[in-house]
Amino acid sequence: MIYSKDYYLGLFNVDFPSLDRLVQTGLSQGGSYCDLFFENTTYGSLLLRDGAVTSGGSHIDFGVGIRVLCGEKTGYAYSESTASQDMLACARSAAQIADSSSPVSVYGTPNPSRGEPNPLADRYPMQMPWRECSMKGFLPFLTLLETKVRAKDPRVVKVMASLAFQVTDVLMYNSSRELKWDTRPMGSVSVTAVFSQSGKTENKSTSRSFRTGAEMLTEALAEEISADVVSGIDARFEAIRPKGGKMPVVMGAGASGILLHEAMGHSFEADFNRKGTSIFADKMGLRICPKGINIIDDGTLPGNRGSLNFDDEGVPGQKTYMVEDGVLTSYLHDRISAAHYGVKPTGNGRRESFRYAPIPRMRATYMESGSAKAPDLIASVQKGIFVDEFSNGQVKIGEGDFTFFVKSGFLIEDGRLTAPVKDINIIGNGPQALADMVGVADDLKIDPGAWTCGKEQSAPVSCGIPTVLIKELTVGGE
Amino acid sequence: MRLDSKEIELARHCLDYALENGADKVRITLTKSLLNLVGVLNGEVDKTSHALDRSLQLNIFADGRYGTFSSNRLEREGLEQFIREAIVTVKMLEKDSLRDLPSQERTVKDAAGGNELDLYDPEYVNMSAEKRRDLALGSMSWPLKDKLEKGFTLVSEEGEYSDSIFDSVTIDSNGLFARHTETSFEIGYEVTVEDGEGNLYSGYWWDATPRLGDLKIADCSATAIERAAAQIGPKGIKSGKYTVVIDSECASKVLTPVLNALGGFSLQQKNSFMDGTIGKKVFPEGLTVMDLPHSRGETGSRLFDSEGVATRDSAIIEKGVVKEYFLNTYIAAKMGMEPTIEDATRVKVMPVGGCRTCKDILEKVKDCILVTGFNGGNSNSATGNFSYGIEGFLVKDGKIEYPVKEALMTGDFLTLWNNLIFAAEDARLCMSKLIPSIAFAGVDISA
Repeated sequence: MIYSKDYYLGLFNVDFPSLDRLVQTGLSQGGSYCDLFFENTTYGSLLLRDGAVTSGGSHIDFGVGIRVLCGEKTGYAYSESTASQDMLACARSAAQIADSSSPVSVYGTPNPSRGEPNPLADRYPMQMPWRECSMKGFLPFLTLLETKVRAKDPRVVKVMASLAFQVTDVLMYNSSRELKWDTRPMGSVSVTAVFSQSGKTENKSTSRSFRTGAEMLTEALAEEISADVVSGIDARFEAIRPKGGKMPVVMGAGASGILLHEAMGHSFEADFNRKGTSIFADKMGLRICPKGINIIDDGTLPGNRGSLNFDDEGVPGQKTYMVEDGVLTSYLHDRISAAHYGVKPTGNGRRESFRYAPIPRMRATYMESGSAKAPDLIASVQKGIFVDEFSNGQVKIGEGDFTFFVKSGFLIEDGRLTAPVKDINIIGNGPQALADMVGVADDLKIDPGAWTCGKEQSAPVSCGIPTVLIKELTVGGE
Repeated sequence: MRLDSKEIELARHCLDYALENGADKVRITLTKSLLNLVGVLNGEVDKTSHALDRSLQLNIFADGRYGTFSSNRLEREGLEQFIREAIVTVKMLEKDSLRDLPSQERTVKDAAGGNELDLYDPEYVNMSAEKRRDLALGSMSWPLKDKLEKGFTLVSEEGEYSDSIFDSVTIDSNGLFARHTETSFEIGYEVTVEDGEGNLYSGYWWDATPRLGDLKIADCSATAIERAAAQIGPKGIKSGKYTVVIDSECASKVLTPVLNALGGFSLQQKNSFMDGTIGKKVFPEGLTVMDLPHSRGETGSRLFDSEGVATRDSAIIEKGVVKEYFLNTYIAAKMGMEPTIEDATRVKVMPVGGCRTCKDILEKVKDCILVTGFNGGNSNSATGNFSYGIEGFLVKDGKIEYPVKEALMTGDFLTLWNNLIFAAEDARLCMSKLIPSIAFAGVDISA
């Protein structure tokens, strides 16, 4: 959703002379680059609990972040006011990172046209802009959702459903005199259901999150979410912790892509590689997984939670191949790392809000489909596990070691899915797991859940993967 | 940089304005914080950050309905419009007769000044950009990297020094006025080392304190390097049942889920493995866990919770018996129980077994797995089952043999805590939860 340039200039009460004055102040101590990030975010939320939507609210976050670069060093300050004297004080504070002896790098070519026209693409148009809708109109959706969940499974004892939406206006200007603006929507619906059976309790949560307007709140969405949250509960009540050990692991299509995000994607972020702390720091151009595998970070998927018209440095959103045909071809760059490596920024400079300087972050990270069939991959395993839902993944960037919690899955015995498993961990090493991907199915699925990456700052992302067979990982069990 | 009288007056105006425009009851929390940070990388300043935040949060009760709102745009006219719209929003919601402010009897009476717990360091006002830079750079190991112990090289060293002041005032339409002010000084270093075969290992160490004079800066970087280098040459271990010792840096991992399960939100939603345990002995006789929110000058101490309810020093678990659920006004009303406070504040696990330090425990248990960090994993709030990736060492006869790799610790929290054999007295004061090094018998380790 993109309004006219004047909407953003008026919203933040700035004009070109004032923007130029801020940038000049930021560079006054010898900085080599300065950018301004104005943000106005409005949030709304509703919560259904115990059968009624009895709490909700709205929130406003407004301010400007000013960044000054001096070589690869960053000075950052922000103001919650766009009054001239407050912003100038911030610019002076950020400017202090520089001194007259600092080296100068060039970030982009000066652009006197100030970057117009702005929109290269609008990846998240809103038919029903959140801010133009009454929150009262959203209440029936949550009630319908709860009704559908309860109707689908009599074991449900509690349902908690929430709707959270936000709309963020951003205006960006930099010392190359590029001006960009954007309005980014996000709507997220989450449901947690608690089930009781024969004195035992289980829970399950699911979510959907899109960069879209309130038109997402349809009966079809309520049906989809309610079906999802009750699916697999029989298996959870029956699930066991298997005997642990090293074994083949088949990762189901979709949400298993979080493993790709955590165990590989972070290691491809250029800041870790620039500092030499990533296990992939010296592997550019080398084969890191079998031929035929392509791994992508994509900011261009329409309505996707990770998509961006521009990143938070004003670089156009784009699709970046990190691995092509098994070879590491690109890191994920912000402007600092791109200058360091002498390449173009990949549109991965992202930040949680104006309170943070941008750093390389993922968007929608996924692996392209292969040629195998998912049932064939499962059938090829004598003894292993199939995982369809992970949570709480963690990776050590330097070592490449990762651990993932398996929320649900199945044993594979003689090529068939047998006993359900849960509450176990899978551990492995990122580069080794990539090298051990011996089968990729033709069923890529981008997961629609509300994934949030927590690298220093929170950022909305998404992930996806086709069904993949990894030759061997360590599975923790009894 | 504390809230000034004009800002506090603005909060009072917003409270009155909400009442005049349709709210029945209101609570307002106004916060202000200032943080300055210097980041260093490989011996040089890498980044600086200056962050001033203000926020006004409103809890509005109107026509038997309730909503929460916040804004960081603190111009009076804009706030008045925001409040009018907020009240309209509240009145759209469904009724909930159980929503209410806490009674006056429960709210704090002795927190009007903000520094009653001595959490404000006057030295804060003397901090300068130069001092911060010196503190961040002063104890880095990078300049000495060529003189480090043979067997590894220092690939990268990142550090951050920051100081901040936080000030908040909470008022409500029942006459509450509660203020909390604290300063914080923090240092942390993360290093990556490389062994002779090109393998990378990372280590981290940090300290934080309300008073600059108490900040342990000198050994921070060296400790991070020591922790990274100690991981060189990991080996696999056999799966089985082990005595597990968890050091105080990461021991909160196995207590926090228990505390969360004692929270009213999980209990009321029937999503807690501690449901029905109040007043029952479900832990071993030796386990006592205190909440000590009134510890003067210590990180995490508070006189009141977010509702303005007075905290108090009390037992959460006493000699194995669950003594307290954490119930705010609303959740308590829903559960038909007496409200307490909404969360544990400064938790302390009392000593068990007569060991003062982690080293003492290792000498007592002889053979065990020493856990120094967790890597991923999760727990199930409904069942109490957990599975965590662990980092640490195999210990034989009280001495570290080698670092372990690809190991997992699994079980359920009630069984784990019932196998508690030692709790030392070495909790880190920089943490709000004082969990010392602890040892459990018979823990399942998969590797």
